[in-house]
Formats: sequence, C-alpha cells, structure tokens
Amino acid sequence: MVKSTHAGTFLLLPLLVFITSSCSNNNHTIKIKGSDTEVNLAVNLAEQFSKADPSFSISVSGGGSGLGITSLMNGQADMANSSRPLTDQEKLLFQKKDIRLKTIMFAEDATAFVVHKDNPLVEIDIPTLGRLLSGEIVNWKSVSPLDLPVNIYGRQSSSGTYSFVKERLNISYSPRAKEMTGNAQILESIKMDRSGIGYVGAGYISQKAGGGNVVRVLKIKEHPGYQAVSPLDPEAIKKREYFFQRPLYQFIPLTSWIKVKPFIEYETRGTGRQIIENSGYYLIE
Amino acid sequence: MKYKQRIFIDTLMKGIFKSAGFLVLALLGGIFFMLMYNAVAFFFEVSPLDFITGSEWNPTAAQPVYGILPLIASTTLVSLGAMLIAIPLGIGTAAFISEYAGSKLKNILKPVIEMLAAVPSVVIGFLGIVVLGPQIAEMNNLPNGLNALNGAILLAIMALPTIITISEDAIHSVPQTYREASYGLGASRWQTLQKVTIPAAAPGIIAAVMLGLGRAIGETMTVLMATGNASVFPKGFFDSVKTITATIAIEMGEVPYQTTHYYALFAIAIVLFFMTLAANLLGEYYINRFRKYHAA
Repeated sequence: MVKSTHAGTFLLLPLLVFITSSCSNNNHTIKIKGSDTEVNLAVNLAEQFSKADPSFSISVSGGGSGLGITSLMNGQADMANSSRPLTDQEKLLFQKKDIRLKTIMFAEDATAFVVHKDNPLVEIDIPTLGRLLSGEIVNWKSVSPLDLPVNIYGRQSSSGTYSFVKERLNISYSPRAKEMTGNAQILESIKMDRSGIGYVGAGYISQKAGGGNVVRVLKIKEHPGYQAVSPLDPEAIKKREYFFQRPLYQFIPLTSWIKVKPFIEYETRGTGRQIIENSGYYLIE
Repeated sequence: MKYKQRIFIDTLMKGIFKSAGFLVLALLGGIFFMLMYNAVAFFFEVSPLDFITGSEWNPTAAQPVYGILPLIASTTLVSLGAMLIAIPLGIGTAAFISEYAGSKLKNILKPVIEMLAAVPSVVIGFLGIVVLGPQIAEMNNLPNGLNALNGAILLAIMALPTIITISEDAIHSVPQTYREASYGLGASRWQTLQKVTIPAAAPGIIAAVMLGLGRAIGETMTVLMATGNASVFPKGFFDSVKTITATIAIEMGEVPYQTTHYYALFAIAIVLFFMTLAANLLGEYYINRFRKYHAA
C-alpha cells in the first residue's frame, strides 16, 4: 500500500486516505496538516519514509499553521506542522477539550526576506524593515536607488510566518500588504514584481532545494552598522545570529503518538536528518 | 378499502412535501438567526456607526479596527466591473442565439455555454493567477496583475452562463406575433430586435442580470485567488482588493472563537447576506413581472 504524496494533489488525498484506510485494518495511516512553510519538507520526509517502510501511508497537506492546530482540536489530523508555538488561547482550548499534546521541534527555519533581482538592495536593518512592512515607507527611494512604490507580499493571518514576522518586528502590517496563499505564490510574485518585497521559509530559497537565484535574498542586520547576516549561512544559523530564525514544531496528540512515533524517530534521528538539510532547513543540535 | 388507502397516501405525501418546504424555510431562518445572534454580540463591542463608516479593516492590529467600507467598496468594484463586461456580452450572445443562429449552431452553443457554468471556481481563480494576471500586468505596465480588474474579468466569465441562459429564455419567449407585426411595418431584423424584442423581454433580461450579479457578489474562491487581498480602500480597478467573501474565508480559518474578531466576521456576513438577498429578490421580482406580463 504505497502511496506517494504531493502538495499539488492534496485535494485528492483525504479521499484516497479514506478509501485506503477503510479497506485495510493496519493502523499505519498518518494524516499531517498545517504549516505551508513545512509542507514541502514534510512531503519529502513522508515520501522517503514510506519508501523505506511501505506499510505506512502518510498524507500531508498545507493551509497554514493555524489550520493544522485547529484540525488537531477537531480530530481531523494525527499531527500538526506549525511554524509557531501554541498561543495561550490554543493551549486553553486543548485543555478544555482534554487533548494532551507532545511537542517535537524537528528542524530550524530562517525566514528570508526577498526582493526582485533588479532591486539593488542587498541588506536591510530591522527598524527599516519594520517601517517598510508596516507601510510607513511607501516608496523604495529612501532605502534603495529604486524609485518605485513598495509592494508588500505577505501571508494570510492563518500563517505561522505571518505572526512570527509580525511579533519579531513588533509592528502591525500595512493594510496595503497583499495576502497570498503560500510561500510559492509570494516567490512567484516577487520574481515578476520589481517593486515587491516578501517573506518566505528558508526551504523555498535554498540552492540545495533548487530554489534561489530567481530573487534576491536580503541580508539582515539588527541595527544600522551591525554585521549583516544571510538566512542562507549555516554557520550563522548555528550560532543563532540570524534575526528571524525559529524552530519548526510538530504537535501530536497523545492518542496518535504510538502510530506516529516511527516517523518522528525517522526525521529526528535517521536518514530524515539528511532530507531536512537537503530541503534547505537547518538541524536543531 | 382501496379508497381509504388512496386518501391515506395522499395525506401522507402532502405532509411530506409540506415539511420539505418548511424545512427550507427553517434553514433560511436558522442561518439568518445564527448570523444575527453572533453579529449582535459584535455590535455590543463596536458601535454600528464605526462599523459602517470606518474606512479601515485591520482586526489583527494592536488597536483592532473594524471598518467595513473598504470591503464593501471592494465587493462593489469587482461585481460592478464584472457586470460591465458580462451584460453586453451576455445579452448580445443571448440575442444571437435566439434571433440569428441557425438551429444547428444553437444546439451546439446552448449546451456549451451551460458547460461554462460547470467549471469549478478554483480553476477559474487558478487561470487568473497564471494567465490573466500576468497579461494584465504586462499590458498596463503594472508590477503585478492581482487586482480588481482581474477579479472582475473572471467573475464576468462566471456570471455569463446565468445571464445568457435566462436572457435567451426571455428573448425566445417573446411571442412571434410581435416580430411579425414589426416586420410587417417594414422594420429590419436589427430594428425589430432593438425596438421590439429586447424591450418586450426587458424584465426577463433584468432578472438575468440580477441573478448574475448575485453570483458575482457571493463568489469566494476566484476573488480570493486573483485579487491580491489588500484590505486598503481601493482607488481603482488596478488596486488590489479584499472582498467580503475573501475576508471571511481567509480570516475564519484561524480566528479564535467567541472573540470580537470572530463576531465581526458574522457582522460582515450579514452585510453580504443582505447584498446578495437584494440582488436575488430584485431578480425574482422581475422574473415574476415578466411571467405575469406574458400570461396576460
């Protein structure tokens, strides 16, 4: 019962899972939902894992961290990918529903800020970035030689990256910011838009994963005059020098733990580590 | 004995059909009540005046603001744009099918147009992202094509089948004697269509437009994918817009229950409900008028 999973066919997956699970009695069907930043990585891991152990059938879908966590509450998933920790409100809701969770931090992500290739900007400091994304700076003129209005490509509020960037910069986003449905759509738009700026997960710009080169990844410095750090620099990430790095979480309800455990072991110990690095994310020591 | 059985079956069936009818009413009432109930909770926290006149929608800001004006403006802009494109195209097609096309062509055109209604909205939205958006951007020298115009064109495509099918029925059911009288007075085909047939079918055509408009206002997936979703007040067709439907779809997924933001989504849902209700009621009104007019 090998079933490969792709992000593009995720609409079909619930159906497939339903069919395959209803005609087999083994308990090796795992349903993973959540973070769009993690979805490609999770699909890779699941594919390789079920190749190694064909008795497992794993379906992965995205939609945003918030959506994955909500699915856990409603019992619609065995595991939630999330690029942010639980909020107090969510913790309370899980308590109320008497669902106890195991939390796994299986990889480290560095949120990258990207602009068009033609934008001469190569590095930016945190206060300026905050003013850009909150809509205070409306024209590129003041930060780069480009004389164009700033076009912000952000995520929707269900995204973990959306809230991560917002909290890290301590701003509220400009109402002019566009809300895109995923990292890939942001990247596509930035590729075409000379005046765009957006944020995506490290896996989407990594050379190893075949991304990058189509947009410019900005180096970030905490204050003007500080050393600028690239999200693509593994040494800096290891030393925790990049401003927007964060662990990627997986939440598993205790009731699903036994079934999911082999998969978790695979990704935190086994060959999975290799896949995480090859997908452009970083390992947690 | 047989007689009693027949009476019994008749009353039973009458009961079943009656309850089915009332069930629909109860569903509508239930939906409306649920929307109202939650929206009222919102209006305890935010004054209705601020809600209606506020020109900024930003519920996740440090100081949340719930102004519905940009959302209404976005929905209106996209739907009206769609109608500007779909009405001439739709009525023209309907007139062609009913007045000019030969029966062979007509038998091909009608089902093909109805098949257009079967294209899922997510597919149309996808075309908006990968085909129409980049085209619009290139032609108008814009940084990107995710704007109101993109949404309007896509919605026009989606509203076309409704408008064409109903207008065609209306034009087709104008009595043949009207046309013959017109021809008898020496009028040409175009003159007859323009001065006699279309005016006679007008209530039906207005109904078609209203039902098409209802479809455009309520459409979610297409506009969510193609219009960029920036909640700032739109200034024109080349601005990114965030319609009421897209706002609900995007924000409902993760908003914590029983919070002001959650209730706010119900409040804007009520507004949307009334907008589509008005369009549909107007459409129904004209359909009825059209029927009466021809029954006489």
